[in-house]
Amino acid sequence: MMLAMTASGTLALAGCKGIAALGPVPGIGPGVRALDRAIRGEELIIASYQAAITALAGKAGPSAIASGVLAEHQRHLSALRSRLVLPPRLATASPAPSPVPPALPPGAHRVLAALAGAERAASARLLNELLLAPPPLAQLMASIAASEAAHAVILAQARGA
Amino acid sequence: MRGARLTRASGGPGAGRAAARAAVAALQAALAAEQAASYGYGVVGSHLAGSPSKFAAAAADCVAHERARDSLAALITARGAAPRPAEVAYRMPVAVASPGAAVSLAVLLEQQVEAAYLAMVAQPEAEIRAFGARQMQAAAVRAARWNGRSQAFPGLGDRA
Repeated sequence: MMLAMTASGTLALAGCKGIAALGPVPGIGPGVRALDRAIRGEELIIASYQAAITALAGKAGPSAIASGVLAEHQRHLSALRSRLVLPPRLATASPAPSPVPPALPPGAHRVLAALAGAERAASARLLNELLLAPPPLAQLMASIAASEAAHAVILAQARGA
Repeated sequence: MRGARLTRASGGPGAGRAAARAAVAALQAALAAEQAASYGYGVVGSHLAGSPSKFAAAAADCVAHERARDSLAALITARGAAPRPAEVAYRMPVAVASPGAAVSLAVLLEQQVEAAYLAMVAQPEAEIRAFGARQMQAAAVRAARWNGRSQAFPGLGDRA
């Protein structure tokens, strides 16, 4: 599945006639915006896991589970980013600030519960976003939403263990 | 009831008929996977009779697949097509002779179902797409309950 979404499909056709030949810059479609929100969502949840792994230092079991799930989120983010192609102007205009994850509660048990809640919320958001996406991206988003729902199960099992 | 279309129609009535055929084909493929899973969970449950909690989990998951199967049949009928009947019996992807193998089979059945729903998620009709995505989520949850593991890309595997 190699679908790159571009917000500037007409630019390459304009040749060397100068900027005036380009006409108005095409708007960014709902699919690109849905993809952008999905990317930001993954960045945020990755930041949450990085904070959680720091908070879980010394708790071998929960820490290992969080690290395993974090690795899957990093694969999600790579797959989503590979679908996004923005014109240089948009890509460099305002570098997105690093996401600031919500503060984690004290205690390994509550950290895992907070992560599980974040996973369920992210999975539910993707289920809505994928309705706006072109088919290959919708399939990727559905797969990621399913993965995140499974993460919530694993985190709940880790709390019970 | 037809859901809203998500993409621009790209042609006349011929294109509309082709889209309707593609939607029914995606529904039939998911139906076939749910029929196989419903059968397969009978095999799973028969090897988990020694554990009341695991047997109950297999029974609950079997019911979930039967409900999805019936919903898919209704979606197909609503589009003027006939749901393809189930096979009399199915060859299981692994031989099952122990509770451990039964759990492995349950996970495999869920993974087959996840992959089968991908074609529905590619459909433009919101009702079909949302149903497929919700069922992929449910299958991944059931698989994780069985084996305590997740996958980065359920349904897609290494194709993501």
